[in-house]
Amino acid sequence: MNSYYAATLAVYAAVDIIACIALNLQFGVSGIVNFSFIVFQSIGAYTAAVLSMPPDTANGAYQVYIGGFQLPFPIPWIGGAIAGGLLAIPVGLVVLRKLRSDYQAISLLVLSVIANSVIMNARTFLNGAAGIAQVPGPFSDQVDPLSQTYQLLYVGLTIPCVLLVWLVASRIVNSPFGRSLRAMREHEVAATAIGKNPVQLKMTIFIVGGVIAGLSGAILVGYIAVWAPSEWLYPETIILFAAVIVGGRGNNVGAMLGALLVPVGFFEVTRLIPATIGGWVPPPNLIPAMEWVAIGLLIIGFLWFRPEGVRPEPRRVFGGAPVPEDLVSAGSS
Amino acid sequence: MAEGVHRHFEGMHAVDGVSIEVPTGKITGLIGPNGAGKSTFLAVLAGTLPASEGTIVYDGQDITRMPAYARARRGLVRTFQLPSEFARLTVLENLLVAAPKNRGDSLWGALRGKGYWMVDEQPLIDQARGLLKRFGMTAKESDYAGTMSGGQKRLIEIMRALMLKPRVLLLDEPMSGVHPSIVEEIHHYLQELRREGLTILMVEHELHLVERLCDSVVVMAQGKVIGSGTMATLRQQKEIVDAYLVG
Repeated sequence: MNSYYAATLAVYAAVDIIACIALNLQFGVSGIVNFSFIVFQSIGAYTAAVLSMPPDTANGAYQVYIGGFQLPFPIPWIGGAIAGGLLAIPVGLVVLRKLRSDYQAISLLVLSVIANSVIMNARTFLNGAAGIAQVPGPFSDQVDPLSQTYQLLYVGLTIPCVLLVWLVASRIVNSPFGRSLRAMREHEVAATAIGKNPVQLKMTIFIVGGVIAGLSGAILVGYIAVWAPSEWLYPETIILFAAVIVGGRGNNVGAMLGALLVPVGFFEVTRLIPATIGGWVPPPNLIPAMEWVAIGLLIIGFLWFRPEGVRPEPRRVFGGAPVPEDLVSAGSS
Repeated sequence: MAEGVHRHFEGMHAVDGVSIEVPTGKITGLIGPNGAGKSTFLAVLAGTLPASEGTIVYDGQDITRMPAYARARRGLVRTFQLPSEFARLTVLENLLVAAPKNRGDSLWGALRGKGYWMVDEQPLIDQARGLLKRFGMTAKESDYAGTMSGGQKRLIEIMRALMLKPRVLLLDEPMSGVHPSIVEEIHHYLQELRREGLTILMVEHELHLVERLCDSVVVMAQGKVIGSGTMATLRQQKEIVDAYLVG
């Protein structure tokens, strides 16, 4: 494995870990089935792109987009995160206040499809279906983006982001606020009856998740330098859901593990599939199609046989508490 | 106090002009046949369902339009007819989550870390453990609430409500589906809570329990109040006996 490939894998892993932690906060901890998650990642990517790119009149005006502010790092990444959070406000106010959770999921899925169609067809905003290209990464004017040094630099920039997101998510999940979110997930009406405001709780975590999703998009676009509607079709969200379900809902470690097992794992495994099998050349779309089948089977398999995932949500045992009988027997076996 | 409370469901009058006053520091029973509108009325009082018409006054304030969570924060707390524990939270967490004042129960408090909110958390853990001891559930503290028996889930709900330090407790069939030994326990705890000055309005089907426990009783049928008083006086009224108390 060469260092370029290793760096690519590391950046993808970091982006997926950040995204899965955000989705875990919304879905795993709080029970919000955000089927439009990829839209929040995408707005972060587009925002970071137009903040870092020159005006669209540059480079022969071959692409059309709004903005083009040529702002230095870290402003595009911060802008991407803020954009994710800002988008969560109107979406949350429309979807999370009145609708039941299953209708919320459907509405968010529809939002994802609509947003993608609008950006794809309205070329004047973000260059339509062709997407925007030549997005400059952080410090790409100072270090050659094709150099090995730049690859290492990029990995070095993503790691603090992963750690920051991890710290934020851990503090939320392990706090009394996280406990309120989990109570709302378990029984919303009962949570309301003990004084919890479910709209406020949902809006808060929806915005936090939006900010983190936006950051993940900003990091990714700086690395791959392009962003187009084909990057963020609604099934991309399903991959992240599969990761959180496989890893373990409600558990940040599980979300991280899921990110490594599902999106990154599939990326790696498909690379190892030979181009010809015993002299037979498979159709070009067979492998990507089989990936979707595999992801679907993975979700069904885990929900059926191990719904709690590889790393289930941990039980909170407080200091000085009697050890539960099932934990004693589990420990002795 | 409820005055002329209605609750309609697309033309069906589940609660039809109910007016009652719940005496402070007493246990009031709310009885009636199935479909009388008792649970719906309780849900309207708690704010879980909005009233279609009428006025609800609590502690001298009109709370008719106040959302359920705000009523709970003011001490008007309900339990549910069906078990409503937070299944994948431990028994202790089920109690702690109801505690109203914890600096860690907000995004900013949570982000500031354990050192910031543990000052509030520790006394609440002590308070919750005190309740668990009182209700004989200390050994179950770290078990998932979803694994408890029906009776234990009822106790969790009552303890959870008590964590809010309520002034009025609305109990929806707290004894239903509960083993007789735990029924006696709940009965005993409710008497204790009354002695401590808590006001309770309780929907219950088991008339012998209502008779033993409640200071006064309100009878509902077809969404309306058809009588009120002690069980002894209600048994004297033929229309109530015909509607509900037969047997």
